[in-house]
This record gives sequence, C-alpha cells and structure tokens, in this order.
Amino acid sequence: MSGKRSSGLIAAWLLGASAIGLPGQGYAATAEAATDQVRARLVASVDAVHPGAEILLGVNQRIIPHWHTYWKNPGDSGLATTIAWQLPAGAAAGEILWPVPSRFTVGPVTNYAYADEVTLLSPVTVPKDVAPGGVFPVNATVKWLVCEETCIPQTVELAISLPVVSGPSEAGQGSPLIREAQASLPVASPWPVSVTYGQDAVTLKIRGKELKPERIAEVGFFADQWGRISHGAPQERFFDDDGISLKLKPGEDPAPGAVLSGVLVVTENSADGPVRRGFAVEASPAGAAAATAHEGEPELGLASALVLALLGGLVLNLMPCVFPVLSLKALHLLKQAEESRTRTRLHGLAYTAGVLLSFAALGGVLIFLKAGGSAVGWGFQFQSPLFVLATAYLMFVVGLSLSGLLELGGSAAGLGSSLAEKRGYSGSFFTGVLATVVAAPCTAPFMGAAIGYAVAQSPVVLLAVLLSLGFGLALPYLALSHWPLLQRHLPRPGAWMETVKQGLAFPMYATAAWLVWVLAQQAGSHVVAVALGGMVAIAFAAWTHQRTRWGSPAARRFGSGVAAVAVFSALAVGYTGVTGPLADVSAPAEASAGKNWEPYSAARLQALRAEGRPVFLNFTAAWCISCLVNEKVALSDGAVSEAFRKGGVTYLKGDWTNRDPEITAKLQEFGRSGVPLYIHYPAGKDSAPVILPQILTPEIVLGAISPAAEVANSNLTFIKE
Amino acid sequence: MLLRRLANIVFVALAFTAPAAAWAEPVVDKPAPEFAGKTADGKTLDLKSLRGKTVVLEWTNHECPFVKKHYESGNIPQLQKDATAQGIVWLQVISSAPDKEGYVDGATAIKLNKFRDAAPTNTVLDPEGTIGRLYGAQTSPHLFIINPEGVLVYKGGIDSIPSADPGDIAKAENYVKSALSELKAGKKVSKSSTRPYGCTVKYAS
Repeated sequence: MSGKRSSGLIAAWLLGASAIGLPGQGYAATAEAATDQVRARLVASVDAVHPGAEILLGVNQRIIPHWHTYWKNPGDSGLATTIAWQLPAGAAAGEILWPVPSRFTVGPVTNYAYADEVTLLSPVTVPKDVAPGGVFPVNATVKWLVCEETCIPQTVELAISLPVVSGPSEAGQGSPLIREAQASLPVASPWPVSVTYGQDAVTLKIRGKELKPERIAEVGFFADQWGRISHGAPQERFFDDDGISLKLKPGEDPAPGAVLSGVLVVTENSADGPVRRGFAVEASPAGAAAATAHEGEPELGLASALVLALLGGLVLNLMPCVFPVLSLKALHLLKQAEESRTRTRLHGLAYTAGVLLSFAALGGVLIFLKAGGSAVGWGFQFQSPLFVLATAYLMFVVGLSLSGLLELGGSAAGLGSSLAEKRGYSGSFFTGVLATVVAAPCTAPFMGAAIGYAVAQSPVVLLAVLLSLGFGLALPYLALSHWPLLQRHLPRPGAWMETVKQGLAFPMYATAAWLVWVLAQQAGSHVVAVALGGMVAIAFAAWTHQRTRWGSPAARRFGSGVAAVAVFSALAVGYTGVTGPLADVSAPAEASAGKNWEPYSAARLQALRAEGRPVFLNFTAAWCISCLVNEKVALSDGAVSEAFRKGGVTYLKGDWTNRDPEITAKLQEFGRSGVPLYIHYPAGKDSAPVILPQILTPEIVLGAISPAAEVANSNLTFIKE
Repeated sequence: MLLRRLANIVFVALAFTAPAAAWAEPVVDKPAPEFAGKTADGKTLDLKSLRGKTVVLEWTNHECPFVKKHYESGNIPQLQKDATAQGIVWLQVISSAPDKEGYVDGATAIKLNKFRDAAPTNTVLDPEGTIGRLYGAQTSPHLFIINPEGVLVYKGGIDSIPSADPGDIAKAENYVKSALSELKAGKKVSKSSTRPYGCTVKYAS
C-alpha cells in the first residue's frame, strides 16, 4: 500500500513539470497542465488586451474526488497554492483573490481548502506601451500541495499569449471561468463585525437584524492567518436581537487586541435550498470606536460571574419589584415569632427552594429554547406580550391584597399571590416563586454582565449562574429565618405592620403601571385600554368578592359568580386584545432617499419592453437575506446606479414579501419557485433576457448590463475591458 | 443543607469546565504532558525518566515529502547529531496508524534511520495515536522541546519557510536550532510557538 503511494508520488513529481502551452493561437489561448490529481488551466478575463488595461488572470484547478488544494491560510497543515508570474516588462500582477474556502477535518487536524474545482484570480495591469498587433505572453509557475490522506507537492508551468488590440471594444468576452470565480469570491460584509478577546474565547459579534435563526442554517469563520483561532474547534453561535455572536477558540497565536480578518461564511435557507455565501471580514476589537454600550460588556470568568450573580441577587431584594414581596415574607416572619425555631428555619428553606426551583425552571426553558436555535436572552418571557399582561394583572392583584381590598381565602386558588398568602410551608415556597416572577424583569437591566455571560455559556454554567443569582435573592430571608440574633433585631409586631403592608401596595401598582407601558411598546397603544379595562374588571371582582364573602350562602355564590365573570372577561379581553388583529405589525420601512428603482408591475415591464428600453428586474423579499445582501452590496453600489442611469436602464423591483400572484407567475416563467431572481433585458424589443446568478457583486451586474465599451471608464472593469 | 447542595451544583459546573482545559493541546511554559511509549528497540520509554534532560519530540512519517525534504537534504539528521552530542534526548514519534502512510514496525524504523544517516536517541512507536493526540501533533514534521524541568518550551515547525522545496532550507530560519541554542545559553526561547507545516499526521480514525 505504501509502496503504491510512493510510486504515485514520484510519478506526480515527474508529471508536475509537464505543461502544454498553446502559444500564438490568439483568442484566449488556454494552457493546461495535469498531474494525477489536478488539471490546471490558465484563463483570462479577456480574449485580447489593450494598452493600459486591467485584466484578471485565473488559474483553474480541477481536482479529482476526495483530494483538495489549500486556501491562503491552509489551517493546521497544508500549504497555500502559490503563483509566480512571468509577465512582459512593465506589467504587474496583484495578490491572489481567494474564493471562499471549505473546512476539511481529518482526525484532530482541520484544513481550509478547496475540493473539486477552484479558480484563483489575480489582477494584472497591462503596460500602456504595448503595441497593438503584437502579443502579450503570460507565464505562470504554479505550486500547490494536493492532499487526500497523502500529500503531494506539485509544480506546473502554464502559459497563454493574448493578442494586443488598440481598444477595449475588441477585448472580447474572455473565459466564463473568470466570472464564475468572481461569484465565488467573498464580498464585503454588509454587517458590522467586532471581535472580543476573552480568556478562553474569541467572540465575533455580527450585527444585523435580519440574521435570524430561522433563516440562517450555518455560520462559520475562516481566519486568514494561521494561529488566530483554533482551526478545528467547534464554533458556537448565539442569536440575539442584534445579530449573531460566534464563539471561537483561540489558536496558537491569537494576537489579542488585534484586528481579526478572514471570511465569514453564512449559509442561508432559501426557497431553492441552502445558499452559501462568503463575506470578507475585518473585525475590530469591541470597545474600540464603534462599540456601543451594549457591546462593551466585559468578558467574565465563571467564578466572577457566580460572585456577581450572588451579589446581584442580594441587591435585587431592594428593587421595587421584589421589595414588597420580601417584606410580605418578613411580616409573616414577625407573625410567626412564636413558632419554633425549626419551623421558622423550614419556612426559610421552603422560600429558598421556591426561588431556586423557579430560577432552575427559567434556566431550563432558556436552555431548551437555545438548543432549538431561538434568539433568547434573559427576560425572554417578557418578549411575549401575553406574559407581560399576565404579570401586570398579577402585580395589580398583589397590590389590591396589600391594600386590604382583597383578602383571599384558601379556596381562591390559582394565583401565586393567594398561595403566597398561605400560612404553611407551601405558602413560603410560593412566595419564593412569586419573588422570582417579579424579580425577572428587574434582573435583565441590572445583571446584564453576568446574565450576558451565562447565556453565552454551556447549559451547566448558565444554570450555575442563575442559581447563584437566585440564591442571592433568597439569602436575606434565609439568613433571617436561620439566625435568631437577626430576628431579635426585627421590630416588634404591632399595628404598624398593617400600615407598612398597605404602603407596600404602591410599589406593586407602580410595577403594574410600568408593565402596561412595556405592553404598549410591544403591542401598540390600544392594549393600554385593554389592560386598564382588565384591571378595572379585576378590581370589580375583588370588591364583589369582598362585599359578599361574609353574607348568606346565596350572596356568596352570587358574589363569586360575578367576580368569576369579571376576572374571566379581563383575561379574555386581554388575550384577544394582545394577540388580535389590532396589534401593531411594524412594516419594514423602505428608504426612499437615493432610490434608484421603481416598483414592479407586469404592465410597466411590458410598456418598457415595447419601447425597446433596457430593463433590470429584481425580485426580492424582506425575509430573504441573499436578496437584501445583494441589494446592499451590488444593486445600491454607486457604480451600478451610475451604469443604470447612463445606460438608460429602468430598474424594477418586485417585492414578494407578501403573496403576489403577478410576481409568482413571473418567477415561474423563469423556472423559479422563489426569490432572489435577477433578470436583465438588454435594449431592443426582442432582446433575450439574461438571468443573473443568485449571488451578485457589482462586477457581475455591471458585466451583465453594460455593453463592453461602456464600463471602460469605470474602476470596475475586471469583467470586460 | 441547601448551601451544601448549591456548593455541589457549583462544583459540578466547575468540573464540567475543567476537563476542557486538561483536554487542550499542551501549552508552552506549562508542564509537558506525561507519556510512556514503546520504542523501536522494543523497550518502554517514560517521559518522567528523562527529567533532567532536554527532550526533543519530532513527529515523523518517512513517506511524507516534507519529511523527505528535511531528511534527504541532511537537515534533520544533522540537527539530531548536534543535539545528541550535547546530551539532548531526541525522540522521533511515529503516530501513523497501521495501513496508513508512514507506519513502520520497530525494525523498519531502525533500518530507515540507518539508511538515511539519521541519529535520533530513539524512536517512539505510537500507532494508536495516543501520544500524538495528547500533544496535538498535526503535521510531520511537528516539533516539541521539553526542558530539563519537564516544561514545554517550544512547539511548532522545523523552520520558517513552509514548503516542500529543499532549496528553501538554507534561506529559512531553523526554529529548532535557534530554540536549542537559546536554551543552551540559559535564555528563554524567543519564538516558542510557530506554525508547523508538513503532511497531516495519519492517525487511526
């Protein structure tokens, strides 16, 4: 086996030198050379050069199955392909433009490489003094390492000769391989990307509201320098409202504080299957100029996160949302002063258990949602308007109870507050649950750093931080119930307790009022009426219940009935009000400034075609990320707008965000089931439409819409000279 | 009781994060991972028993063109001779799995070294890839230097020009040679972590 490999290796080395040139053939003469594993071809973006032209030369490699050649950072092993150009005097070649690579993992080794086929482009400047009528000879010594299990270094010589013509109009189309290669190059990232260097992680933050878990199938980062990140380590991704965070393991040479450059590969789910696309990224360290307060959160270790969470939990007790609940419990403790020490301690433990279990439950839901790829952060439950409304009602009910307007008996079960009023251990337990429920909204702004850290960690760490937070929350009461010394410092029970209790109702009302405001932000102003109406109904229910509870059995039944109807209507109206059709749906606002397009309609297209005017069609949708990226990167490009204007091209945009049968029909006409679709109708009544690729660059659009001569003055003349 | 339970939870959380650190590849300036392995001459070699000596670990695979570059040019054999003459222990490690490129038995390993005029102190056979994975060896060659205190002081490539061309050896900075002479002079290794290059180590999958 190894003998066979050795001989193959020698053969490959011998073959490496063979090159078949086709000099003097004229139009885009291609030169090919082949080894056992790779067939290489030299191609150009033109059929002929002219003085001063900027052209692209490409080395196309076709690689046999299972083998690969390497990207500019080959990863753990491997070698990047090199091209040494021999060009006529005065001509200069630029750096290789590398297409988006793929990951190849063999055991503990991960490489960044290309399989099957790749074209490496190099920009070349033709000197101004080349004489038309002559030839422009190009030679390239190309070295690569091709590997499967075995690695073979190979060298080939490639040559082509391009005729020299006087002007760009005679330059010709060049090789289609060049355009294909251009489409495989990474484009500039439309999203701001920043990097944070931590102890165990290098975190890339990609900010883009359209980056949602349901749209993104895969995200991966390829650092373009060796050692910046661990090439093989899994890259964990986390979605939030702002975009995606990618957690990378530092490599051998992480260079903390430096700009991290490379290619971000995003695979998007589209109607026609996944679309993979590369973005050139130069991530500046977060906290530098562009970072927002949101992003500058310090990187924490687990130990400091646990301590911070504990302290945070302690301080939470003083927050307006929690304080009344805790005070409620402290008052109970005073009443229980006569109870045995053991019983008091058990109450403290029950309360703590209530808090910890609630935090654990929240953590569990969070982990579950995260595992499902949802964009969750702490306080995620408050993203649901229904939950906010329910909490507002609950706060209001607790307020009423503290005010003395509602004394809930053991029979009126169902609400946390009523359970919290129970005298037994379950009462203490549910007070803990209640404390957690009301503490959660306060937690988010207050505990930002620790929670932010925890959400980005493994489930175990997340749970540990949450439990530490919960323990901090429970600690004061736990301490009070455990140490008689502390209890002795509590004031003596008395009539003042009733005053304090009534006073504490007001923070609860305030919390309820705040939640109604939150609700208005979430679901529109009409829900204020719904929520307040619901509260009136609840207050009415409380009053009815209170007025009838000491009456005759018939009166009690009547009172309970009326109260139940009132509560039910509060809930029903609340539910429909919050989830119903009146709820605000924010429509994506289209920027009108600098608009270079008209809305699509079949009639408009027909009219333009009848006049023989050139038309560029763009079918897009707000939920299609490729579409948005193409619009940002290619179609809004200055040179492209300019070319549309100059060429008299009408740019029509069809929005398929909502169902539109006219657009659906047009898509079907071109054999498509979804967007994006880009079509160019050149000038002339009967011109054949040209379908553009689903991934656009300014060069591709310019190449498609411009007759060869028109772009000569633009700086984007790589496609056609 | 609850306090203890919480402490347990925290410990469990810590325990989950700790192995990640132990699992990572060896870190420069930290103790080198201990290992014991079978040598080409049929003995067992224990890294601990070499405490007090500088140890060089060289991952190799005689069929790899990059290894050939450094053996056929005489570069690595010369380094081995210079090192062993100073009392440095130079160990070749072969992590190629049976049936994979570069796998040899002990007798063949010794014969190969004789044929190539190579002079390592010994050859460690690691067909299961245990030592290779312990050190995170990725390429052949891939070099590690452990100082007499058992601390890893260098990991990385043989030299500064990653290529298969023997013509580049003279132009390149030989990292291993520099590191060994810095160690001899009692200095800290200045380039202690460099990019290894070569063929992928052919581990058992």
